[in-house]
Amino acid sequence: MTTLEQLSEAVGAGKAKDAKALTQRALDEGARPGDIVDKALVPAMAEVGERFKRNEIFVPEMLIAARAMKEAMNLLEPHLVAAGITPKYTAVIGTVQGDLHDIGKNLVVVMWKGANFRVVDLGTNVPPAKFVSAIQEHRPQLVGLSALLTTTMPAMVETVRIIRTSGCPPVKVMVGGAPITQQFANEIGADGYAADAGSAVDKARALVGAA
Amino acid sequence: MNVGLIQLVTPDGCHDVSMTASELALPLSELLAHRGFPLNTRCGGRGLCAGCEVELRTGALRCLGDDTPPPAGASGRIKACQARAGAGPVTVEIPARSLQNHEPAVVSEFRINIPWARDPLVPGARVGAAVDIGTTTVALLLCDLATGKVLAEASAFNAQIRFGEDVLTRIQLCSTDPGAVARLQRVVVDETINPLLAEACNRAGIGLADVGAMTVAANTTMLHLLAGVDPTPMGVHPFRAAFLEHRQYAPRELGLRFGGDTAEVHLLPGPAAYIGADLAAGMVATGLLYDDGPALLVDVGTNGEIIAKVGDQLIGCATAAGPAFEGAGLTSGTRAVQGAIERVQLQSEPFAAKLGIIGGVAVPLGICGSAYVDFLWEARRTGILQTTGRFTDAFCVRAGDHVQRDIHGRKLRLHPRGASGPIWVSEVDIARLLQAKAAIAAGMVTLLSLLSVVPGDVKTLYLAGGFGLHLSLEHAIGCGLLPGLAVNQIQMVGNTSLGGAFLALQDRSLLDEMIAASKTMKAIELNLQPGFENAYIDHLALP
Ligand code: B12
Ligand code: FES
Repeated sequence: MTTLEQLSEAVGAGKAKDAKALTQRALDEGARPGDIVDKALVPAMAEVGERFKRNEIFVPEMLIAARAMKEAMNLLEPHLVAAGITPKYTAVIGTVQGDLHDIGKNLVVVMWKGANFRVVDLGTNVPPAKFVSAIQEHRPQLVGLSALLTTTMPAMVETVRIIRTSGCPPVKVMVGGAPITQQFANEIGADGYAADAGSAVDKARALVGAA
Repeated sequence: MNVGLIQLVTPDGCHDVSMTASELALPLSELLAHRGFPLNTRCGGRGLCAGCEVELRTGALRCLGDDTPPPAGASGRIKACQARAGAGPVTVEIPARSLQNHEPAVVSEFRINIPWARDPLVPGARVGAAVDIGTTTVALLLCDLATGKVLAEASAFNAQIRFGEDVLTRIQLCSTDPGAVARLQRVVVDETINPLLAEACNRAGIGLADVGAMTVAANTTMLHLLAGVDPTPMGVHPFRAAFLEHRQYAPRELGLRFGGDTAEVHLLPGPAAYIGADLAAGMVATGLLYDDGPALLVDVGTNGEIIAKVGDQLIGCATAAGPAFEGAGLTSGTRAVQGAIERVQLQSEPFAAKLGIIGGVAVPLGICGSAYVDFLWEARRTGILQTTGRFTDAFCVRAGDHVQRDIHGRKLRLHPRGASGPIWVSEVDIARLLQAKAAIAAGMVTLLSLLSVVPGDVKTLYLAGGFGLHLSLEHAIGCGLLPGLAVNQIQMVGNTSLGGAFLALQDRSLLDEMIAASKTMKAIELNLQPGFENAYIDHLALP
């Protein structure tokens, strides 16, 4: 097996330490950072997403795989920046104001990175104005909003409303989080909803026209 | 005039329910609650859980807003909170898991580890009532204040459940509906506490007028709702409570019906918005407060509170584990009530499950938390489960039709004929249990590491809450719920919230201790702890 194949397998199996070591080895062997992403990480995360959709793995296994992917990305990101490699699509994401949960959102971040999006993560407890200024600054095609609490669903409504009326460049809005439903997404005028990080990738690609 | 008729099929038979014209627009779940068949409306009737699912046998139901038929879920069942009955006759089956069961199991068992004085909080009162208001269950006991003897006990589900199963759903209701605080206040007092008090007095052979004192321990949200104080600020960051301090009322101020002019109600103090008076009571009753440690108090419930003490450092957190260990949201999950499977022993070849059922009944209702803990450990031990929580392929091959597959994945049949069909444990159930387990384990590990203590150094872990006193500690450790601990480090203490309320009634100095404990304890925000997310992911696997 080549290093890239081994890396792909380590990420799929959620072996974070191996994933980090193999990424380093690939770099040492002279692999191009862009190739490591395209040939090892993207297929590995695509496979994880597929298996999730087929109910062959669940959230726990996906979180473990995503952590391995994150280790690899942490090593690669400086190299990618240095090499001037920027993915075609950009997404801004954050947990809405009042809410501090981010494990699910972080998983979406990794999956989107795994699908070759540039992801700007605004963190948790993000006020609507911060989303607006990030949209103005980064010109993303996509904005993701996460809420895990029944009580912060109204903040999601408010954030969508402010993004829509702020006069910032047009952008697709996608929402998610355990209490969110497709119906709620429709009601608040979001462009998309995904129940999990696996379908979040398909939905995101469809929304930006990459599918 | 009656305009509609529903025939109900429940595990104990058929019932006819008639409707008046004004009731035709009501959600079916509300109509059924009015007629004495309350469902497990966990999300407060917002269509988000599956607690209210019913099966349509004959006839037609309608959507709430229009006349179209309501969509059936993957299981073919319909959410009763999203449907209403039309004028035509219908037959609806309520499976056991959707029916709210009104007999909570033993919730009044607790262990007290400290000595106490006979110096009643309310001098002159003859009898006192100690109350623990849980989000789900309310327990009450009467105590003879002259002798310290327990006279009677009673418990029931918190009638507020129909407004939402967890505290946040009830908080959300208060933040959107100006009348909700008063309504929730009346519901818990009129429908739960007053009836329990009357029942206990009846059993003790005393009058309501003889009760002169009441102490109440509960989580912070429940205390707000009892006092009629709006809990809205607790629902979003920075999650602030309107009050945490000890409060005193006259019974009639809260609508409580007992005692005379001198009777008093005391709401016990708590440390933080999500670490309430129930934990302050527990810190005193278990003696954690006087323990140099390293010691832990772990309450395995929806909130999953953990308190750690080392020397004079006292810190605590809420891990928000969710209700999986209370049986909620699982295929055949149930609370620890009569008829629940509470113990499980497994054999892999050939597959066999030996089940212990509460009350020894023949037809089990479902599986409760302690049995899920057994299951996780037993299934790992016998090679049925992988560390990921998936059934092993080898087992699936030899298990024959004990293992079946549906659109959500695989599931294992533990019993062929429960009160509403076979009793299953699915891989999705296991994934939910693993998430709850991981939250508690990660919270514990994170707190200990803040105090530079490893689990092996813990002198005593006081295990309180939902499981009562009937959990297998070997299995709780074996499935990774309490990582790194050994059985001899753990003491089961039961409902220490009620235990603490009972103590405060009899020894006024212990109220001061609870006040001190609440002030001393430092609440740790787990989301600000860099290690928590990693520990959570680590602990998702089975050992
Ligand atoms: C971990 C956790 C915490 C951690 C958060 C750590 C962190 N850094 O995020 C801590 C302990 C800090 C926490 C705190 C609280 N929590 Co909490 N928490 C949980 C828990 C156990 C797991 C959540 C999780 O991470 N799941 C795993 C991830 C992968 O799943 P997920 O978030 O749903 O994300 C998936 C999808 O929803 C989707 N998705 C998510 N975001 C997005 C965004 C987009 C754009 C898209 C497309 C998709 C998407 O994709 C993800 C992957 O598939 C749940 C209970 C449970 N078992 O689910 C409670 C839970 C969410 N918490 C709850 C509560 C109430 C709280 C508190 C308010 C009170 C408390 N009990 O302590 C506090 C808040 C105070 C505070 N200081 O933050 C409740 C919410 C109840 C309700 N009705 O709203 C829950 C459900 C537990 C419960 N039943 O009581 N919590
Ligand atoms: S779905 Fe009906 S009460 Fe939750």
